[in-house]
Amino acid sequence: MRLVLTVNGARREVDPPPAAPLLSVLRDDLGLTGTRFGCGSGQCGACYVIVDGRAVASCLMPVRQTADREITTIEGLANGETLHPVQEAFIAEDAMQCGYCTSGMIISAAALLARDAAPDEAAIRDALAGNLCRCGVYGRAIRAVQRAAGTMAVAVGSPPAMHR
Amino acid sequence: MKLEERIRIEPDGSVTAFSGKIEFGQGIRTAFAQLVANELDVPVERVRVVLGDTAQVPFDFGTFGSNSVAQEAPALRLAAAFARRSLIRRASAHLGLPAARLDTRGGTIGDGDGKRVSYADLVRDAPLTGAVPDNEPLLPPERWGSIGKPLSRVEARDIVTGRARYSADVRPARLARGAIARPPARGGRATRVDDQAARAMPGVIAVVHDGDIVGVVAEREEQARAAADALEIDWEMPKSEPSETQVVAMREDAGTDAALASAALTRSATYTLPSIASASIGPSAAVVDVRPDGATVYAGTHRPFGLRDAVAGSVGLPKESVRVMPQMSSGTYGRSSAPDVSVEAAVLSKHARRPVLVQWSRAEEFAYSPSRPEAVLEVTAGLDASGNMVAWRYDEHTNVHTAAGPDPRVAAMTSGRNAVPPYTIPSARVVLFVEPTPLRTANFRSLAAAENVFAIESFVDELAHASQQDPLAFRLRHSGDPRLRRVMERVADVSGYGKKLPARQGHGFACTLYHGTYVAQVAEVEVAASGAVRVLRVWCVVDPGLVINPDGVRNQVEGGIQQSASWTLLEELRHKNGRVATTSWDTYPIATFRDAPESIAVLVEGDSGAPSTGVGEPGAVPTPAAIANAVFAACGARVRDVPLTPQRVRKAAQPVA
Repeated sequence: MRLVLTVNGARREVDPPPAAPLLSVLRDDLGLTGTRFGCGSGQCGACYVIVDGRAVASCLMPVRQTADREITTIEGLANGETLHPVQEAFIAEDAMQCGYCTSGMIISAAALLARDAAPDEAAIRDALAGNLCRCGVYGRAIRAVQRAAGTMAVAVGSPPAMHR
Repeated sequence: MKLEERIRIEPDGSVTAFSGKIEFGQGIRTAFAQLVANELDVPVERVRVVLGDTAQVPFDFGTFGSNSVAQEAPALRLAAAFARRSLIRRASAHLGLPAARLDTRGGTIGDGDGKRVSYADLVRDAPLTGAVPDNEPLLPPERWGSIGKPLSRVEARDIVTGRARYSADVRPARLARGAIARPPARGGRATRVDDQAARAMPGVIAVVHDGDIVGVVAEREEQARAAADALEIDWEMPKSEPSETQVVAMREDAGTDAALASAALTRSATYTLPSIASASIGPSAAVVDVRPDGATVYAGTHRPFGLRDAVAGSVGLPKESVRVMPQMSSGTYGRSSAPDVSVEAAVLSKHARRPVLVQWSRAEEFAYSPSRPEAVLEVTAGLDASGNMVAWRYDEHTNVHTAAGPDPRVAAMTSGRNAVPPYTIPSARVVLFVEPTPLRTANFRSLAAAENVFAIESFVDELAHASQQDPLAFRLRHSGDPRLRRVMERVADVSGYGKKLPARQGHGFACTLYHGTYVAQVAEVEVAASGAVRVLRVWCVVDPGLVINPDGVRNQVEGGIQQSASWTLLEELRHKNGRVATTSWDTYPIATFRDAPESIAVLVEGDSGAPSTGVGEPGAVPTPAAIANAVFAACGARVRDVPLTPQRVRKAAQPVA
């Protein structure tokens, strides 16, 4: 089934099986392996991407429903070598161990800060509640999102681009 | 040890270091880079660390026991120090100056501000080689540049940009996908495979039935799974062969029973812990390319050399022809000591003659991967009239704690880990019973230590209360180890242990000495009327000897506490007749962002005069008891069965009639 997707600002033509989820198209057809497979049922958050501004589980989303929508993956958050403030903050707080869940967490956090520039801690926990981490970096990740919110507030008038 | 096996100075003057250990998020690549940068007097960014590539690194038995820094720090430091001295010797000839006048600075060697020569120039004609002396002098602490400095992980930028490549992200040319047909229960063997329908399905490249492995290789994963589901298979289930219980006496003092009989106060209790899952966020995955003359394995593994031998055996290749190239791996906390997924991918690749990626589904990961076994811990102790412990009897009933199966030579240090309490007790008998289980068992984080320390530290708390003593003072009076005493006193101090808390809140204390690392914790919990336990705060003081990366230590210990709190409050792998029933995050919930404590304060106070010891596991070890003791302090409920569910807490809180 031929489709044209808009991924990280670029139009990409793909020809996946009709029932394929967005996740397998990203990973297997477009080589965007930064979005991870975790459970296949939308319960762990490892595969989150931003679709039209919302963080969604790409393992559950049929790819045919994503044509004509703006898809941003972890690879599309940075602007060239300039990282998104959430990415910078995760490095600064060393908010990772194995890093397998990190892409999904950063996607959730970026989507949160795009709609709420100053979330309180409860809002951060709620927004990231779908992102499971087994290594246990929740505390650091919360601090990283708070740090990113602070950085973005300072950069008044220049909200980070979602993608190039 | 040969220098060239450990350290190579590259033509551009950068440094490559080699170790057989594996990075799973513990931060050892970063710590190793710091150690090598320190001794070679270069910035950390100039050091690249190769981990676990069997074609490049010296043999290593495996990454477990929180031993990576403890075992590898001395070797890497000595090799790097020898490399530095060798470079100075070459610089002396090159510059025509006595070596004693020369010093290193940022990858160059010279005499103060005079003429200097770079490391790159000094290795241009010949690489550094030679036997590293065991007594090679190390840089004195006043010259240290990297040791003891907090540093973010060297992989951090790759991780946050999605560039980091995990096993399932490896994409060699002609990669095909594999799926395995699973027997209804562990150990089933296929006696007949009808693959007529499967072979005709789209994308199918090969249907494989080789030994215990039945699977399909296809162009896409969805196709492989659909075809594997379409296989018609007759399974023969193994006859159950009851194995025997191993009994290992770990400490057996004569007169323990007599001392118990004459004690002024005796108490007994039984503690239980369920089987729990490794619950890696990334299910097991491997890419294997089997060719007629050899194989390449891209996988996460705790044992690269063991995996190499297992894969070689499974496809009939000499082990020297198999190269294991460990990739970034989802944390598996011990589970990847088993070679299973790589062997499956290898067998499929051999038949399909293509590189094959096998990634387990979430349900497969829960149902078929090895898990931490259960434990039943029976303890009796006697106190004299002054409140001193005089006798201790401890029976540990559990299963094999390794993927390797029962081995009486290692039972005491695996299934019996930390069963002997760290306290001064005149008479004690500690006996380990390793009993059979239908489940696959894993080398899970800390092996049996988390279970044993839950029982020991809960029971010590009970003994203190039974004899009207403060739990901290009770521990201190039975501890002569100054480092253990110091972490206990420090954590009590920073947490305000013993201060009055609001209603239904409590502080719980627990400590451990795990493989040389000292840990003491205080948990602060709140217990709702429903019995639901919320961990509000945890304080931890850890002494792992000389600290290479303080923030790396903090991160590991915080994570250990967070994961252990999840085990304690939420986790139980349910199974029946050897089949796991909890095969999704719905039925096997783990802690989420909403459950995370408000703070986990880890103070890293290492004794810099003591050798470096591990931090990957010890942080997790005392947490279950700290939480259970806090629940008792908050509401008077003594819960001896993990997980501490609301129902169990409510039941334990009911006054006994």
